[in-house]
Amino acid sequence: MVQKYNNKISRPDEKDGNKVQPEAVRILTDPDSWRTGTGSGSGHNNAPDPHSTDGLCLTDGNRVAVVGGGPAGTLFSRFLMRTLRRIGTHIELDIFEPRNFNYCGPAGCNHCGGVVSESLVQLLAADGIILPDETVQRGIDSYVMHMDVGSVRIDTPLQEKRIAAVYRGHGPKKSEQSHITGFDHYLLREAVRAGAHHRPHMVTSVDFDSGHPQIKLADGRKESYDLVVVASGLNSALLGLVEQTGRGFSRPQMAKSFVAEFKLGAAAVERHLGSSMNVFLLDLPHLQFAALIPKGDYVTLVMLGDKVDEGLVNAFLNAEEVRRCFPDNRPPQNICQCLPRLNVTHARKPYADRVVFIGDSGVARLYKDGIGSAYRTAKAAANCVALYGYSERNFKEHYWPACRKIVFDNMIGKCVFGVCHLIQRLTFARRGVLRMTEQEQYGAGVAPRMSSVLWDVFTGSAPYREVLLRTLHPVFISRLLWNLAAANLRLPSARKRGVTAS
Amino acid sequence: MSTDATDKGAPPSGEGFAFSPLKPDLAPKVAPCQDNCPCGTSIRDWIAPIAQRESMGLSTEDAYTQAWERIVDNNPFPAVMGRICPHPCESQCNRSDTDSAVAVSSMERFLGDWALDKGLQLPCLTPAEERRSFGVIGAGPAGLSFAYQVARRGHAVTVYDWHPHAGGMLRYGVPDYRLPHDVLDGEIQRIVDLGVEIQTDVRIGRDLTLDELRDRHQALFFGLGAQRARMLNVPGETGPGVWTGTQFLERHNTEQPISAGDQLLVIGGGNTAIDVARVGRRYGAEVTVVYRRELAEMPAIAAEIEQARAEGVEFMGLTVPLEILHAPSGELRGLVVQHMRTGPTDGSGRHVPEPIQDSATELPATTVVIAVSQEPDWQGLEQAVPEGPGPEAAPPGVSSGGDVLHQGIASAAIAEGKQAALRACDIEPSESSEEHESPKVKTERYVHIDRVADHEASAELRLRNPALEVAETISEREFLAEAERCLSCGSCLGCFQCWMYCNAGSFTPVENPTPGNYFSFDPDICEGCGKCIELCPCGFLSPLE
Repeated sequence: MVQKYNNKISRPDEKDGNKVQPEAVRILTDPDSWRTGTGSGSGHNNAPDPHSTDGLCLTDGNRVAVVGGGPAGTLFSRFLMRTLRRIGTHIELDIFEPRNFNYCGPAGCNHCGGVVSESLVQLLAADGIILPDETVQRGIDSYVMHMDVGSVRIDTPLQEKRIAAVYRGHGPKKSEQSHITGFDHYLLREAVRAGAHHRPHMVTSVDFDSGHPQIKLADGRKESYDLVVVASGLNSALLGLVEQTGRGFSRPQMAKSFVAEFKLGAAAVERHLGSSMNVFLLDLPHLQFAALIPKGDYVTLVMLGDKVDEGLVNAFLNAEEVRRCFPDNRPPQNICQCLPRLNVTHARKPYADRVVFIGDSGVARLYKDGIGSAYRTAKAAANCVALYGYSERNFKEHYWPACRKIVFDNMIGKCVFGVCHLIQRLTFARRGVLRMTEQEQYGAGVAPRMSSVLWDVFTGSAPYREVLLRTLHPVFISRLLWNLAAANLRLPSARKRGVTAS
Repeated sequence: MSTDATDKGAPPSGEGFAFSPLKPDLAPKVAPCQDNCPCGTSIRDWIAPIAQRESMGLSTEDAYTQAWERIVDNNPFPAVMGRICPHPCESQCNRSDTDSAVAVSSMERFLGDWALDKGLQLPCLTPAEERRSFGVIGAGPAGLSFAYQVARRGHAVTVYDWHPHAGGMLRYGVPDYRLPHDVLDGEIQRIVDLGVEIQTDVRIGRDLTLDELRDRHQALFFGLGAQRARMLNVPGETGPGVWTGTQFLERHNTEQPISAGDQLLVIGGGNTAIDVARVGRRYGAEVTVVYRRELAEMPAIAAEIEQARAEGVEFMGLTVPLEILHAPSGELRGLVVQHMRTGPTDGSGRHVPEPIQDSATELPATTVVIAVSQEPDWQGLEQAVPEGPGPEAAPPGVSSGGDVLHQGIASAAIAEGKQAALRACDIEPSESSEEHESPKVKTERYVHIDRVADHEASAELRLRNPALEVAETISEREFLAEAERCLSCGSCLGCFQCWMYCNAGSFTPVENPTPGNYFSFDPDICEGCGKCIELCPCGFLSPLE
């Protein structure tokens, strides 16, 4: 340690003498730093920050490994590198992402529907990340809700296209669309611009036995880091391996979803779907939510539920409401499909000394806006690491609260989706919801109470708590009751009247 | 724009949607290198233990041994073939699409030399229940390959050859600068060490009759080669100063060199002609190769032609010999040739030359070597001449292989020797000749690595040291780097992507991985998303039909 301390002083790039002094004092006064800083290599100077008492704080020359180059990993890297630059700390940050996002199909894709919610578009913009045109495949300006009792279109509250439909890879299998920059590819580039290194290697295990976490690559190489950030998502085997390392972490429980791409051609997409995301509330067992998202030449289908399988996919795609959205009333054979996993619970203790789990690997928003929760957990983790430290205690005090907020909101979300599910099953309820929405969309001067609730449930733009509070408003309840009655008594709705008048 | 979707459309028509699962097929696949190897050696599978030694926990020495043993399963002459084989395996290498083919020849040579250096012995197989006795006529590549394959299965075998040493064309036809005799001797000795008896200086039909042979052995193999040169049938071709290619090379290889004089003319465009020309340059003669078709159509190995050119050999295409002229004293004076022009193509796709009127010219020469073609010499063995080319044409208990059937490269002779040996031992050949698709390798996923450079000595240095090998063996570092270049077409190389990204967990790493076998796969768990097939870089996972 003394030798390392000397190294530190003699480093040629160390211009500011003040930086040496407090560290020297800290090392000498904090016995913990001796124990935690015994790894090999001159990079392991684990001098604690004044805010921290357990001695795990980033200092010059530290090495951070981010396992996974999806939104969580890349946003974390960008946040951390930019914050550290402002503080004046220089670290090495390696993002391990074996995929080449320039490949079409699953080889270059991170498997999801690819909808960036309006709140996230704004958050990213505020951070200086403006999604370029070649990344946004389509701006979504409306939703069409399909039910067996009818369909209704819900426009954005402000008539703007603020939701972005993106590809998570380089487009569907064999699509050869050279002008595309996938969302993940774009974020990875931004992280590299902020000073992170992209290393195209696959991590096959993380080992904590020797104090410093060691990651093992597929080619057998081992590398030692000061901090490992696991952002591997749920769709890789790595999380299961890390779980076995005995650091108290356990994986989130997952459900299977189905994502597929259908090629319709730009003209047919425009004609049949336009800039609308088509959402389906169908009475099919185990189906929680399904949507068709228009993107360039393709339409992406996303199906969520507690038991998505071949039978459910077939039943859904053969349903009349779904077939109507395709040319000739029939979906073509899909050209790209996957069955990615999504979180239904959160990870237990997604942090320990020198390791933190972000994005889907840790805590994610229920069913919706997984990229948004990746953003939030990445930012919270980056702030914690940059400003406080990377000990278990630091994460517990400064990272976990952000996760807990999502966990709490998910509990409310479960109730919200429970109600949705009930509506899916009860015909009279579906009629009432449809009528109330139609009244708001087609009638003049009616406050969009149901529309905004549905909008936020489908887009994931607002916390579930807010959605729930809005449905508890007396005006909402009374209007819903009226519409339930009116719809089931077959009274004409604003839309029907409007249509006959014109 | 959403009205289409919101209004009730026509009732659904046609077939409904059906989810089509895309499951992977893990059946073994044949790499293009193996497809193009006359020996049928799976080059990919012997490179694999070297390239993947770390995944399998092998030391370099163990990896080399494994690789070498895989080669010698088919071909007991890796050090020889690494030097002289034109390596058709490299021609279809998938790596050629990105940078250049894997240098299989250089690697095979390195391994062959390494094994000679280490004194590795050829591995024996489980001995056959009934020990039989085989007689082999001809100690060339075909005969020795046959002898090796039967001996390692526990049979007795005696090889007869009328030359003073074993090796056939490898010894008497290939010049020492391409194949040093100690390398050949080393690889033949290993076959002798298996218990193979080689009787040299024995001519069947003179020293031993065919009937005597039949009494001694239960089955015979004829690997006579094609030792007798075809002549041109032009006047003067038997006079002094005129030699055949085989005579010329045999004299060179038995250290009784022919004085080529100042001007050597070589007639022919095959490998023998090029070898003669290059030996002639090493004797200090000016050498011109006279070939009757266009130079581009010469059947010799292209690299050899290039090296000959670098050594100063001149080439005359579209030139046909008419007469070999001798002075009244009998001394050789020159060669009268007729110049030709390109005519229409024949059945083989080559152009048939047409004579140009009044273009006969006399080329001065001190030596003329006729190296146009060779044929088997069945003298004394007339009753054993097969009636047709295939193995079924041979009488019972008799088989043959190598140049005696059709002239080809040594690799083909070794392959025929092996196939005849397997038939003689009643073993069904394991490699099926069924049509198969080449594995679909995603070459764009591999990084660019340059092929190992040739270690060719300069032409000037080669001419100054006639016995100097044209190229040196590559270094171990280069050998290991070259092994990394193999794409492992159609065989799992343990990249772990299928396992890592399979949501269903259908892939399980096996405890002791071997090349091509890193994971066990459970088709019942597989959800049929097809992601693994897309991810697999080497084409091992293909869509299940």
